[in-house]
Amino acid sequence: MKQLSIVDLSGAIAVVALLALAPVLLNSNYFTGVLTVCVIYAIWAASWDFMSGLTGRENFGHSLFIGAGAYTAGFLATVWYANPWYSLPTAVVVAVAFSLIVGFPTLRLRGPYFALAMLSASAIMQRLCLIFWEYSGGEEGLYGLDPLIQSPLHYYWFVLAVLVAAVAILTALAQSHWGLLLRAIRGDEATCQAAGINVTFYKIASLTISAAFAGLGGALYAHYQLQVSPPLFSVVVSITVIIMVYVGGIGSIYGPALGAIMLTLLTELLRSFGEYRLWVYTLTLMLILFFLPNGLIAPLWRRLTERFR
Amino acid sequence: MLEILIYGAVSSAIYAMLAVGFTLIFGVARILNLAHGAFYALGAYAAYVFTSLLHWPLFIAAPLAVLSVALFGVLMERFLVRPLRYSQLAVLMITLSVSLAVEQGLFITFGSEYRNVPSFVAEKVSIGGVDIGGQRLLALIAGVLVLLLLWLFIQRTRLGAAILAVSQDPEAAQYMGIPTNRIFSVVMAISAGTAALAGVLVSPFLTVQPTMGLLPMVKAFAIVIVGGLGSIPGSILAALLLGYSETIVAYLISSSWTELVSLVAVVITLMIKPSGLLGRRAAF
Amino acid sequence: MKPFLKWLAAASILGLGISTQTALAQQPIRIGVPTAIQLQVGRDTQNAAKLAADEINAKGGVLGRKLEIVVADETENPEQGIAAIKKLTADDKADVLIGGYTSGVTLAQLPHISRAKTIYIGVGAASPAITAKVKGDYDNYKYIFRAFPINAAHQARALVDFINGKLKDDMKFTKIAIVGENAKWVQDLVPILKKGAIDGGSEVKLAEFFDTSTADFSPLFAKVKDSGAQYLIVILSHASSDVFVKQWHDAQVPIPIGGIDVKSQDADFFSRVGGKANSETVGMFAIRAPLTPKTIPFWDEFVKRYGTAPVYTGIGAYDAVYVYADAVARAKSTEADAVIKELEKTDHVGIAGKMVFDELHDVKTGPGLQNLLFVQWQPNGERVVVWPKEAATGKMIAPPWMSN
Repeated sequence: MKQLSIVDLSGAIAVVALLALAPVLLNSNYFTGVLTVCVIYAIWAASWDFMSGLTGRENFGHSLFIGAGAYTAGFLATVWYANPWYSLPTAVVVAVAFSLIVGFPTLRLRGPYFALAMLSASAIMQRLCLIFWEYSGGEEGLYGLDPLIQSPLHYYWFVLAVLVAAVAILTALAQSHWGLLLRAIRGDEATCQAAGINVTFYKIASLTISAAFAGLGGALYAHYQLQVSPPLFSVVVSITVIIMVYVGGIGSIYGPALGAIMLTLLTELLRSFGEYRLWVYTLTLMLILFFLPNGLIAPLWRRLTERFR
Repeated sequence: MLEILIYGAVSSAIYAMLAVGFTLIFGVARILNLAHGAFYALGAYAAYVFTSLLHWPLFIAAPLAVLSVALFGVLMERFLVRPLRYSQLAVLMITLSVSLAVEQGLFITFGSEYRNVPSFVAEKVSIGGVDIGGQRLLALIAGVLVLLLLWLFIQRTRLGAAILAVSQDPEAAQYMGIPTNRIFSVVMAISAGTAALAGVLVSPFLTVQPTMGLLPMVKAFAIVIVGGLGSIPGSILAALLLGYSETIVAYLISSSWTELVSLVAVVITLMIKPSGLLGRRAAF
Repeated sequence: MKPFLKWLAAASILGLGISTQTALAQQPIRIGVPTAIQLQVGRDTQNAAKLAADEINAKGGVLGRKLEIVVADETENPEQGIAAIKKLTADDKADVLIGGYTSGVTLAQLPHISRAKTIYIGVGAASPAITAKVKGDYDNYKYIFRAFPINAAHQARALVDFINGKLKDDMKFTKIAIVGENAKWVQDLVPILKKGAIDGGSEVKLAEFFDTSTADFSPLFAKVKDSGAQYLIVILSHASSDVFVKQWHDAQVPIPIGGIDVKSQDADFFSRVGGKANSETVGMFAIRAPLTPKTIPFWDEFVKRYGTAPVYTGIGAYDAVYVYADAVARAKSTEADAVIKELEKTDHVGIAGKMVFDELHDVKTGPGLQNLLFVQWQPNGERVVVWPKEAATGKMIAPPWMSN
């Protein structure tokens, strides 16, 4: 793998600086809130990309880990009244546990089978939340969480810092020997196995890492929304994340993160379209799919910076 | 007991109609079509427009609804899916966006209100003391007939043989002079048409609403996995299995557990025999 | 600039003779409407709020300021609901929020409303949990009011009254079954209902929840039939009332149905299901009848302007705008704390009855106040009040296939 170039690094610094300063410049609590959601989606998209983008196993049930993290935060706050800061590490642990439980039986599956197994797993969790409403809060979910940081602006910066750390760690891993192996598995699993590589270990480990960040994002989300509810487990969340990754450019990690920010901002900006909002969003998506099959952001960045390399 | 038998048969027939089209287009063209639920919804809406708004007689409205959705499917395959067939994920995404676009389009045109399609058969029928709406019985009979016709078509006609050939080995079929692209169009028309027919048949006793396609599609997906992706007999068997299990669960436990049945069935299948009941393709 | 305007307003109120002309230049009072705009409940919330605001503006507004409506789509999803609240409070700087439909969304919005220190008047969601915090944590949750509808616990008591008074005493139905969608407000309601019916001397043969996405009710109907119940109480809002009623009619289930069925309150429900709602009895918060002097004029004006009869959120939103405007006029300011004090004193004759808030800021129910009327769909889509007795306009009929 090529090393991180100066161009990439300065690009990254510029984007992060812009994201950090944007709410100060616009000075609107509403916009800070929108950006916080954008950044949390970016964490989810980047974490999805690490496992699925690299190994080529499209995870249609990422919401399982997101929901597990968020509900962990919810239970800690509403049942055990724990210090809200405990929910971040606990959410990571729970999401990892979930990834191990579903990972072992499903990761040997290929293509659509893996996608569907994950999708079913997350849908089952959503159903269970509704059926056992006495414990899970049912359709309403759990509410009454405390914010981690009172000031919305400071919380936004905290979440942004988490995103930067997540993207840095995941990119470093993806560019290491490890990432190379995952890409090799994407190319030809049987050959990797024949070469003596413990394919199962690498796949499970990458799912675990992916789940850890998704769960962390879920807990951050719960402490921002101050509530958790079953839609977090829904297929719609997973699909939204996949669309963001696709638009950002699969396999590049920073691309999906930026794709998430761009699409979330777009949905908010389209608010003025009223009931035509989702329609415009869908059509935009179709155009991107059609004319930019490799996504928008990562290919664009490579194109723009080509001559500086 | 008899109630479970009859109501289970009706659900199974509707599920089978949905699942067969879904598995067919995957088996033949390797398209995992997430817009399948949209076809079902469009069929129901077409029936609504033709019968309730335009007041056309049923024997014109129903076939026309099916045909127009089949045409929609063919156009979608030709212009949206075919250029992206090099990547499975791109196909997934484009069919997904078609289904979202259809859903939003229906929202904007017809609003979120439930729409009414009058029953084709208004009478109530009693079988051994079990009361069943005539429309349901019609759905059951039509479903069985359509599946039978489809089976005859694939087994007994030249076109059917070509479809089988493409599903077994598209490249070899092309070398033999079978125009695979045209076969894809035919199969997409059949797939969209059966989904739309299911939509038309259930519209009087279920409801016509923009988001109506999502759940049936998830069910179809589940059935196809349980039966084996690409296998028509497999999906019919799985449709029976799921249709009856859901009905039994609703009777013996509670209606709120029924939605869990298909999901659990999928997970169990994938863990024990991922290729499905009658699937031959390896899943890993 | 602002203190200057305030001073000017104060001056004009003191009657310095320049009253309205100067005041018109003032900023309007902004009413934020968070609601599910793709649904009828949402459209009617907007429309009714606009209607009320237009009427008030035509009379010169409040404190010389015009009312202005700003809408944000909260959908039925908590994430969008929270975003809508943030937009209305932080971006649009709304002075008050009037709206809501899904209890889950409203509950998710509560902490965000409280942090924005903006008054919220709910007109759609029925879960008692929404106003429950007003008492325990007054400082943070005093902003929350519910003007409409009466909460699920009140609805349950009204339904118990219907079961004991109408079904048991009048119709001699002592065996009932209860089915409801699996949602918070129903889960709150069913235990009260069950206890009330049993205490009243009825037998509850079956109580079952079903998923809001249920599309096939035939197993449920078969179970109800096997249970030996004589009347089926149904409680649903988000699930499909249309499907429920159609399948009940098509299978000619030999048990009459009735209860709280939000979508079958719609004026076009009867025609929408092809007349298959015939003989269903529905709990309604208001109908076109002389409930108060305002009911019929409002109803007719709404129909004239928008072409359909209002659903319950419309009635609530109309009253809520008036209640808020009156409170502002009495407080002589839009400052939240002052307005809350005045809102708490509300005694307003609304569309569905007199509107008074209890110590939880929840709308009170009872004779003369808002009430649940039990209205039966009868042939040709006529709506006949069958309970309470003093409001009844006709007799309860049996389903056509049971009447001979």
